[in-house]
Amino acid sequence: MTVGEHEAIVSGSEQPLTALDHAGGPTLTEAPELTMSPESIAALDGPFTTRQLLRLDEALRVADQQTGLTFSVFIGDLEEPNREYAEQLHRQLDGAAKAVLIAISPNQRVLEIVTGPDARKRITDRDAKLAALSMAAAFAGGDLAGGVLAGLDQLASHAGRH
Amino acid sequence: MSIFSTILVYAIIPLGVIAVVAALVASGSTRARPARRYRPGRPYDFQPIWFLASPAQVSTAFGGKGASVPELPAGVIEDAAGMQVRPGPTGGASDRW
Repeated sequence: MTVGEHEAIVSGSEQPLTALDHAGGPTLTEAPELTMSPESIAALDGPFTTRQLLRLDEALRVADQQTGLTFSVFIGDLEEPNREYAEQLHRQLDGAAKAVLIAISPNQRVLEIVTGPDARKRITDRDAKLAALSMAAAFAGGDLAGGVLAGLDQLASHAGRH
Repeated sequence: MSIFSTILVYAIIPLGVIAVVAALVASGSTRARPARRYRPGRPYDFQPIWFLASPAQVSTAFGGKGASVPELPAGVIEDAAGMQVRPGPTGGASDRW
């Protein structure tokens, strides 16, 4: 599969173009960066290895598909007061009522899980606290990616299937 | 064996082998690269990242088209302190490590 074919599929047009319209170009394995957005390339400079990024991506996708909720993970500094800032980030998401935001600030060693009003009916605050405890345990050991994966897994399994 | 060939076999050739191995070890080292990972207690100086499963479909902040139905404007309710009252209570949990 070439880069041109990949872009034809993900370009968002109503009907994807056929492969013949975008013949040529390097293959995906030769030049994977050509199909990536600027945000994806910036994420490669972060604290995660490529393998960890792929596992995070897979975990988020599976959690979204199975539960019907929108999971998202923010890693960066949270302004004071932390809880209000995390809720403000949560409101920026489209469909915030069904969204679950995991906000992690490694510098402040703070972790906030924000569930929207609809998501809260599926993930109770007690479930969220349980996930927060296991995530904090992993972060205290320095395992950022493992903690996020464990938290996503717990939240998604508590939410159940939709 | 002459003195020259003795020195060649017992000194120069072993030294050459040692030099080649040392050069290979030094060039293949990954220790010089700073470890890009989080360690508790050390400063974390990476850019903020926000992960979403499909950003373009969920949020306009990532260039998506947003919800298909335009959202209705919310009424503004303020409490005694002047803070806006949110329509639905968000839940969740906090923790520190």
